[in-house]
Amino acid sequence: MNTEVLLGNEVIALGLVEQGCRVVTAYPGTPSSEILPSVAKYKKQFNRQVYLEWSINEKVAFEVALAASWVGLRAAVAMKQVGLNVASDPFFSAAYTGIKGGFIVIPADDPGPYSSQTDQDSRLTALAAKVPVFDPSSPAEARAMIKEALMLSEEFHIPIMLRPITLLCHALQSISMKEPPALNDSIPTIKFQRDPQRWTATPKLRNLLRLKLNTKLAQIEAEFEKASFNYIFNESSSEKAGIIASGVAFHTTKQVLNNLGVELPILKIGTPYPLPQKLIKNFISNYQIVLVLEEPDACVEWQIPNRDQIRGRLDGTVPSKGELSPEVVSSILIKILKMTNCKITPPSDGRELQAFIKDLPLQMYTSRLCPGCAHRSAFFGIKREFGSKAIYPGDIGCYTLGTNLRAVDTVVNMGASVGMAQGFFQANQLVEDKRPILATIGDSTFLHSGVAPLINAVHTGARFVLIILNNHITAMTGFQPTCESEVLADGSNAACKIAISDLVRACGVDFIQEVDPYDHEMFRKTLRQAYNYSLTPRGSVAVVIAKRPCVIYDPSFIYKTPVPVVITEECNGCRYCMKAFECPALIFNKEKNRVDIDYKICVNCGQCINACSKGHIIPRHQNTAKRSLANEQLSAINNS
Amino acid sequence: MNNYQPSTTHKVIFTGLGGQGIVFLTRLFAQTAVALGYPVMASEIHGMSQRGGPVISHFKIGNDQAPLVQQGTADLMIALKADEAVRNLPFLRRGGVIFVNKEKGLVKEVQPHLERLNITVYSLDASSLAAKLGDARRANVVMAGFVIAHSLLPFSLEIMQEIMIKKFSRSAALNIQAMKVGFETGQSMLHKDSD
Repeated sequence: MNTEVLLGNEVIALGLVEQGCRVVTAYPGTPSSEILPSVAKYKKQFNRQVYLEWSINEKVAFEVALAASWVGLRAAVAMKQVGLNVASDPFFSAAYTGIKGGFIVIPADDPGPYSSQTDQDSRLTALAAKVPVFDPSSPAEARAMIKEALMLSEEFHIPIMLRPITLLCHALQSISMKEPPALNDSIPTIKFQRDPQRWTATPKLRNLLRLKLNTKLAQIEAEFEKASFNYIFNESSSEKAGIIASGVAFHTTKQVLNNLGVELPILKIGTPYPLPQKLIKNFISNYQIVLVLEEPDACVEWQIPNRDQIRGRLDGTVPSKGELSPEVVSSILIKILKMTNCKITPPSDGRELQAFIKDLPLQMYTSRLCPGCAHRSAFFGIKREFGSKAIYPGDIGCYTLGTNLRAVDTVVNMGASVGMAQGFFQANQLVEDKRPILATIGDSTFLHSGVAPLINAVHTGARFVLIILNNHITAMTGFQPTCESEVLADGSNAACKIAISDLVRACGVDFIQEVDPYDHEMFRKTLRQAYNYSLTPRGSVAVVIAKRPCVIYDPSFIYKTPVPVVITEECNGCRYCMKAFECPALIFNKEKNRVDIDYKICVNCGQCINACSKGHIIPRHQNTAKRSLANEQLSAINNS
Repeated sequence: MNNYQPSTTHKVIFTGLGGQGIVFLTRLFAQTAVALGYPVMASEIHGMSQRGGPVISHFKIGNDQAPLVQQGTADLMIALKADEAVRNLPFLRRGGVIFVNKEKGLVKEVQPHLERLNITVYSLDASSLAAKLGDARRANVVMAGFVIAHSLLPFSLEIMQEIMIKKFSRSAALNIQAMKVGFETGQSMLHKDSD
């Protein structure tokens, strides 16, 4: 049998394609981003007709896939957990309308969180939306669940959620690659059929649909009582404590028990909603204490009606935040075992070693913009021009790291910089705060959800500067194309490239200037013009589009015109450049009390030349020139 | 070829900085294990400080489907940066082994802890060896060869080189060489020890 090593997200994609999903949509978001490109890979490998796309945002992605399901095709939509917030409107509605072709919603949760605004539990969103949930414990199980989920979805005409977490999405597992099931390669001849009772249900009909939904959920719960993904491991009625574990927590629990040299019965739950109540009740009745392990929040635990014997998040046994790492699970289990007077040899205490390591002067790392990043130049320019007496609403992307340069004051959710800027304007009018407001947003984020708030701001006459940081790619999540790109998710040509400047003009904005953020003088001049415009009687939102490609995705401009730099002997170690410009290639030399360039990571963008107002950072070819001459040449470069 | 015994388990931590090829190493070891018939489970930890920041991956041979290696249970740690080896010491079990890319051993302060926990350290200046071959970034592959020479994992040099050609064909020639250099250096160091 052919065995492959696959990433969890690849296995999910494999499951979708081999089970005949014909339309798969997504918006990039860690930890889900690898799913869609893997669908493209398997589409090609198995030669299947599949339509796949990076949608402009998760709501649109959901709606595109939903329509395909209503036609009768199997479909899926993938996103990160906060992306489900964006898709919530159609998500909640679709539970009532139901679906036709099997429909799977895949929000990838991020316990911690490691790279998200929240560590919310998508299973709870599904509970509120009345959508059944599969919680896979491993990539291999996710693949098996996709098969069952699609069948269940079609049997009961209901969307189904498959909820992986980061540790599953980015796990590598050995997977056996049997030939994909011999699905009928021809597209089903079913076409979209009118069904006003469902597809156009107005509130009166929704009442009936709600009754039907309740019935479906009860029937599905009955199915889940016998689901193969729920089973008891190490069944024993002689123990005083049992464990209920949902998803990945099941295998972590097994691992930790093994390391403790203890055996406890575990009820594995793969279908946390609707919770199979009989199964749960029977299990609990055998033990004095039952520990519930799941993450990132309680979901199974909330659904257990009588929690007298239950220990978990709700009573504080399980920490209310943070991942269920093996170490956390181990300390919880030791607590439980002590409660039941079970004799165990506690593992060697690693605290002494941890404390020792903490005190060592190991290098600390912080998240920073890459050397050469145009966003750094933009934020530096913004800060130099407007200083600390301004308000800087920010947004979500690599440029969130503008906060390191103290040029980002707010980060809430995708597209919020525009709405917040408007909000600050109106509020400041009331409190008579005249500080300039300069909002920053990326190109992909602007397209995602920055357009509507911009129209709103212009329509209501808000006055602020919006800087769209256009590096022509969705960088943070791994360089996915945007609606401005020439190519689509599968590499084919886009039917039409959207130009952001055209879009901004259509929003009613009168002041639009495109400028290169590398051109420090011109960028600051443009910002000042934009701000001044926004103060004029007929002025409103002014938009500056900072255009320069992502230096990691497209470094060609660096190769074309590299600007190697040196820091002169005159550097006195004031470190203004490090604080205000913050390039990782600027390092402090303690012995000599000066700043040096780390040439291993410097990309020769030359932008730090602007960062020393005393002119101690100069192009390398000027190194032998006298200082005054160097300054002259510097000005010449800046003015050209 | 199927050498798998159901009781076989190996737990490995790979660590270093972003850009040193930790993910590549993890996948290379995983593919090699799978080719020999072993079940594999690994986790790539994509931290936020990825651009040059610490990267760690967990790698397990065996039936355990938990994604991570629990602290205090790793058999081996393969570190491409000495600081990262120290930072991640808590993962090793008593009697564990560290393979570190460094000219000399780990910092003096760590020695008492290494002795207390009976941890063995094998150092290799893999970066210099890789640089001599023309690309310092191949240090990760040099380390792979070095690790195999110590026979703590059920891999032979030949099988890993075969996997390199089959599954990681881009610049396989240079990687094969780098692996060989690491392997031969490891072997000669072992023979020196046993003299």
